[in-house]
Amino acid sequence: MLPGSREKVPRILILATEACAYPGADHVGQIHAEYPTNAYIVRVPAPVIFPESFYLRCFEKGIAGILVMSCGHECPYPGAYDALAARIGRVHQRMIERKLDTSRLRLCAICTVCSKAFLKEVQQMHEKLLQVDAEPQHAP
Amino acid sequence: MIGQSSASANSGEKKQAPRIGVYICRCGGNISDVVDIERVVQAASQIADVAVARQAPAMCSQAGQDLVTEDLRNQTVDRVVIAACTPSLHEHTFREAIARAGRNRYLYEHVNIREQASWCSKSDPQGATEKAIRLVAAGVAKARFAEPLSPIAVNARRHVTVVGGGISGLRAACDLARAGLPVAILEKSPFLGGRLVQWDRVYPTEQAASDLLRELLNEVAEQPGITVYTRAEIVEARGCVGDFQLTVKRQPRGVDDTLSPEELGAAIDACLVRVPSEHDFGLSQRKAIYRPCRDSYPNAAAIDWEHCTRCGDCLKAAGGKGICLDDSPELISILTGAIVLATGYDLYQPKPGEFGFIDYPQVITLAQLERLLDPDGPTGGSLARGGRPIQNVCLIHCVGSRQIEGLHEPGLDGKIHEYCSRVCCTATLRAAAEVRRGLPATNVFELYQDIRTYGRNHEQYYEDAMRAGVIFLCYAADQPPLVLKNPASGGAPLSVVVKDRLTFGEELEIPADLVVLATGMVPRNLDPIIDRLKLSRSAEGFLQEVHPKLRPVELAVSGVFVAGTSQAPMDLAESCSSGSAAAVKAAALLSRGHIELDPFRARVDRDRCRGEGKCVEACEHQKAITFVETASHGETSRCAQVNSALCNGCGICVAACPHQAIDIAGWQLAQFDAIVDALVADYS
Repeated sequence: MLPGSREKVPRILILATEACAYPGADHVGQIHAEYPTNAYIVRVPAPVIFPESFYLRCFEKGIAGILVMSCGHECPYPGAYDALAARIGRVHQRMIERKLDTSRLRLCAICTVCSKAFLKEVQQMHEKLLQVDAEPQHAP
Repeated sequence: MIGQSSASANSGEKKQAPRIGVYICRCGGNISDVVDIERVVQAASQIADVAVARQAPAMCSQAGQDLVTEDLRNQTVDRVVIAACTPSLHEHTFREAIARAGRNRYLYEHVNIREQASWCSKSDPQGATEKAIRLVAAGVAKARFAEPLSPIAVNARRHVTVVGGGISGLRAACDLARAGLPVAILEKSPFLGGRLVQWDRVYPTEQAASDLLRELLNEVAEQPGITVYTRAEIVEARGCVGDFQLTVKRQPRGVDDTLSPEELGAAIDACLVRVPSEHDFGLSQRKAIYRPCRDSYPNAAAIDWEHCTRCGDCLKAAGGKGICLDDSPELISILTGAIVLATGYDLYQPKPGEFGFIDYPQVITLAQLERLLDPDGPTGGSLARGGRPIQNVCLIHCVGSRQIEGLHEPGLDGKIHEYCSRVCCTATLRAAAEVRRGLPATNVFELYQDIRTYGRNHEQYYEDAMRAGVIFLCYAADQPPLVLKNPASGGAPLSVVVKDRLTFGEELEIPADLVVLATGMVPRNLDPIIDRLKLSRSAEGFLQEVHPKLRPVELAVSGVFVAGTSQAPMDLAESCSSGSAAAVKAAALLSRGHIELDPFRARVDRDRCRGEGKCVEACEHQKAITFVETASHGETSRCAQVNSALCNGCGICVAACPHQAIDIAGWQLAQFDAIVDALVADYS
């Protein structure tokens, strides 16, 4: 915890695609729109790179919510979005098995100018996490 | 010290601990006005393996870059973390700086604390500072794993596609062709020239726009390397810089050039369809088979398929030849190395009732006035409306520009246009002086907020208008002029009421025969091409360059450039400069015949690979992963192998491997795990 920081603020990890969502997040900043500071954006070529274990490890480590901001069907990589969507489905299944709230992991499509959609997703996840127990949860 | 040390970060291999330099940019206050930079520097200096943590007013400046290169040269650091603006802006800048210092340019991590910390958290400086600290820590965590990489050289197609056949697109195409590059011009409409064909004379040279266009079109015609596709739109875009694969849909023209002028005239006369003429901004009508003006290029007419009823009357009138009403659109494939977007602008369309627009036929836009003043225009240069001579003309500036949220209603596009359209002041002054010169008995009133004649020689138009007797009245943004029906019968049909700031708010009522609304430039709807090429728009909706000063014609997608008014309001001279700038950048990019791409490609750890083939099954990109047979100790086994030239670095193979035997160079899973660890770590 940082000195003087607000405790128990749930941390949101945003996996943002380099082609769409990351410049979309930049666009939000460029228009000086605000969103909670507990949302951390990580640039990724395509989130299809992450195996199921990555998401579960994030929750174990203390990440409260994950927004996978993809390019959706506009993904420049053939087959990547469908594979990603299927994988997120499987992660949700494993979250259920571990009694983790599946709304803590959400897949959405954000384009380079989707500022409203970006803000809505972050705000919704932030509000959701304030309601749920955001303490690190370990696999049984 | 906080964070994981290099010993565990490098799979147990005994290596010298990394010496990471963290450099934090104040960005001239863009970051430091919100983020407590001193606190970030202090926190960064406490992170394990950080050798130095420094700050600078502008890291991208020469002085800022020198901080990094000096530390690299004297071996204080061996890898670099820059916390500054978005990587799309300066990642390349710092890679080059690192290379100049003799180090591998990929021993570097960029952290975005401007767009994604200070600018999006202005009301929460403490939160923004904490976020910046964690983002820097995450950057350090990723940089620990950074390794020297070599860019991949790929062949680049020495060909450029210019989208848009207006003045900036034509200028770019000519300059590219002169540089020896084949060029395809894709123009959505059936004719080249863009807005230029709609103007009579243009400032600041007062040259006839038609002469200017003819000169440019002659240049195009003289360049064998330029191929023009009219009625052409990109419907699909694949590939990347150096190797874009465009699918272009081309609508048929419907009319070929075998018709004589008489036959074409007969065909046009025979058409019964009438639609408002785009060329005359709705002041006249045209047929479904049409040419916008005498000097249009190509010289052949075209059929407006949206309104054509395919009755065949034109074909009969033309003697049954030269016109085809049955053609279908064709799809053509263009392989190109770079793209220049010169897609132009739209003019603000006033809402019905806005300053009396639509409600009163005597209210027109500045563009319509230009058409009326054109001797080749719909009225042969006459301003008279309904046979009534024009005694008083009121020109109102800033219609649809410099709007204020809460004060102005959104326009027909649902947006408030807060920006200044820049070119309208000079254009309005020019038109006002022309009216005075052509109709000395006509009183001309300019109702303005500010006169912004910013360009070279533009101020001369202000002086000319004053000398010509144009009367200036200054209104406040919150007290715009009112355009009303004149209750007095027999006089001017309209009355314009304005509170003049030059006379300390005196309310004046001007009988007006004609009211002209100086409407500004607004961005075109470019959604399809923005989606296909993954581009960014500015807050105003124009195409967003990477950096307004340092990379003014480059878009965030490598190999895509912007020219002219698709970027922002600009006049003809600026549009030409912009087109030339885009051409030079594209030519420089492709001139070597190859391009260096980032080496972020899949690679196989042969010690871990068991040849199960999950990655081969998962790869959907041109079979970039195949099996190879390997022999070891007399036994043959198979192992995955990546063709880096085909791999697109998507990482679909990475998650597919149950043995973690495949990874993306520069984007290793271990790096992402380290990032997560850093984001959740305790920094107290």
